[in-house]
Amino acid sequence: MKKELLEKIIEKKNKKIEFSIITNLENGNGCIFQKNEPLDKNFEKYKKEIADQFKRKRNGIIDGTNIFVENYISPIKVIVVGAVHISQYLVNFAKNLNFEISIIDPRGYFASEQRFPNINIINKWPKEAFKEIKTDENTALIALTHDPKIDDPALQHALKNNFFYIGALGSKKTHSNRCNRLKESGFSDERIKKIFGPIGIKLGGKSAPEIALSIIAQLVSEVYKKQ
Amino acid sequence: MKNSFDEKILDEAKDWLSSNQKVVLATVIQTWGSSPRQVGSRMIVNDKGDFSGSVSGGCVETAVVRECLGLIKEKQLFKKIEFRVSNESAWEVGLACGGEIAIFLEQID
Repeated sequence: MKKELLEKIIEKKNKKIEFSIITNLENGNGCIFQKNEPLDKNFEKYKKEIADQFKRKRNGIIDGTNIFVENYISPIKVIVVGAVHISQYLVNFAKNLNFEISIIDPRGYFASEQRFPNINIINKWPKEAFKEIKTDENTALIALTHDPKIDDPALQHALKNNFFYIGALGSKKTHSNRCNRLKESGFSDERIKKIFGPIGIKLGGKSAPEIALSIIAQLVSEVYKKQ
Repeated sequence: MKNSFDEKILDEAKDWLSSNQKVVLATVIQTWGSSPRQVGSRMIVNDKGDFSGSVSGGCVETAVVRECLGLIKEKQLFKKIEFRVSNESAWEVGLACGGEIAIFLEQID
């Protein structure tokens, strides 16, 4: 692999662009495939097959050839509401698991650069914050403030936009009150049931890193369920 | 739904290159049976034999390091290697999983 190709790959990865690395196993040549971009003429012959593997996100050698395709897909977006202690551990887990985290918290003391270096922190109320983040059914929401003023608008946004994972921190009682409020706002029981509350898988731990672990474990498990 | 679970091996390769090390990239390109790492898994090896990442569950990494060092020494740019259960010399500690894998080695130049 040429050094220039490696640099291009890292650049595209950092920009969260979806692409494939194409390698000719016979002569060691490589290039990048990207939708709607011209393909290296040495690989023109396999254009259809490459595009097909890219579309299906299938990594591997194209049948009957010596062309290897490896796809890079943009990371799953995870929006955390509440720049709290648990979030500091969540951020670290998410880094290794390649989730793309954004944190929303209108409280300035919480949402500080010092507490969350190099993280996209939006120091605004959820309603305003969601104008800045593109979300869809591949987005996850983790609501951690257990303050209805902050969590509820975010949960409503996630339910309306059909996020694939929605979790909210709080005891069974807190969660039941939350469900009642959402029902009053017009959400159906079926919809509300999609919220994981109390959030996380049962590990038994009560410390911030343990709760973060239980949340991230539930999130990963939901990613695979949706495959 | 799919996440890339990117292991940042390529980013590490770039760091190694910028500190003037020779780097060989090893990528799993094919698997048969129950192999521990999926297609696309990577490891990098430098000219001293340091390595990062993985292409198996620790079964073949030693052999891969050796192959990569050979590649650097012989100034070869790329090579395809395969590991099978029957290839006893390669499986120094034995292949517990019973799978087979093909790995593409390439120097970054």
